[in-house]
Amino acid sequence: MIVTPALAAIIFVAGAVAGALGALLGLGGGIFLVPLLNLGLGFPIGIAAAISLATVIATSSAVTAGKAGQHLMNFRLGMVLEVATAAGSVLGGITAQFVSQAVLQRLFAGVTAVVAIVTVARSNRRNVITDLLADPGLLGGRFFDHEHQRDIVYRIRNLPLALGASFVAGNVSSLLGIGGGVIKVPVLNAWCGMPLRAAAATSAFMIGVTATGGAIIYYGNGQLPPVAAAAAILGVQLGSHTGLRLSPKVHVRHLKLLLAAILGVVSTLMLVKGMR
Amino acid sequence: MKPGDSQLEVLIGRTLRIGVVASTVCLAVGLVVALVQPHSSPWLLNAGVLLLIATPAARVVLSIVEYAIARDRVFLVLTSIVLLELVGGAIAALVFHRKI
Repeated sequence: MIVTPALAAIIFVAGAVAGALGALLGLGGGIFLVPLLNLGLGFPIGIAAAISLATVIATSSAVTAGKAGQHLMNFRLGMVLEVATAAGSVLGGITAQFVSQAVLQRLFAGVTAVVAIVTVARSNRRNVITDLLADPGLLGGRFFDHEHQRDIVYRIRNLPLALGASFVAGNVSSLLGIGGGVIKVPVLNAWCGMPLRAAAATSAFMIGVTATGGAIIYYGNGQLPPVAAAAAILGVQLGSHTGLRLSPKVHVRHLKLLLAAILGVVSTLMLVKGMR
Repeated sequence: MKPGDSQLEVLIGRTLRIGVVASTVCLAVGLVVALVQPHSSPWLLNAGVLLLIATPAARVVLSIVEYAIARDRVFLVLTSIVLLELVGGAIAALVFHRKI
């Protein structure tokens, strides 16, 4: 496929918009980029997912490099959960090559609907940490929370649940071209005892490996057009940079409700397309 | 958490930064070349994509080496499994590419 300069510019802008929205909401941009490419620009959903996975890898590497040294990311837990998430993403990547566009669109509609509902339901909540223990154990962690000006120590509970959620997140990531943080972060925070910021940072770290497992299969199957991917990756990097700078200035609750509404619209459009 | 974890964190951060900068440069230059000369070889773009995909894998390899040096058997095994899964993905990619 020949990508004209005009189309490359449009893909770049789509990437920037998705990256900025993703950074503002604390998600990757994939959940916005895939519908922009598929519904907006008419790319087949497999190619849209592949391009999106490439941008997810770039974002994960950049975010992890930027946060290294702050102790927010829990590397040990991340590496344990990666065993599950990488298996999920490789299997999902293989499955995706055999599943029809309509099925993937319906799945995307379902996942975005759930994410929209979770976003609304959790928009008031900030953090779930009940017990502050002195000993984090091997998989727990300790970091300095600037907001409350104190050390936060946490222990990991329900490891099998975290592993299960990571496997599903890896699978969905490869099938739909999203990072999968939308599945892992709420589970880690609500049921595994992990503070929200640590869960988000650890998820961002793991997503690089998750997306690699899927992206490499799409790339091998010729589903990752390099010119379009390059434009999208550069756009997402600019967008997420801008989004992170803007995020302290905007009202998070209103933003989350707005984004939930956008996701609701995306879900409906995907469902309509997938039902044809 | 164990002593030595912080050192690995810094090392991983540095590896990922080098990977993402190198691939971004390849993709940016490659994109300009591809748009100016649409029929030229897209090798720079492919190099950028491969570098991007290889960066998280390189981070896993680095962790394996560090855990081997630290004689941390459990994490050596876990990170090795992750690498094997990624290798499985690469083999699947080659099968789809009809090279195997």
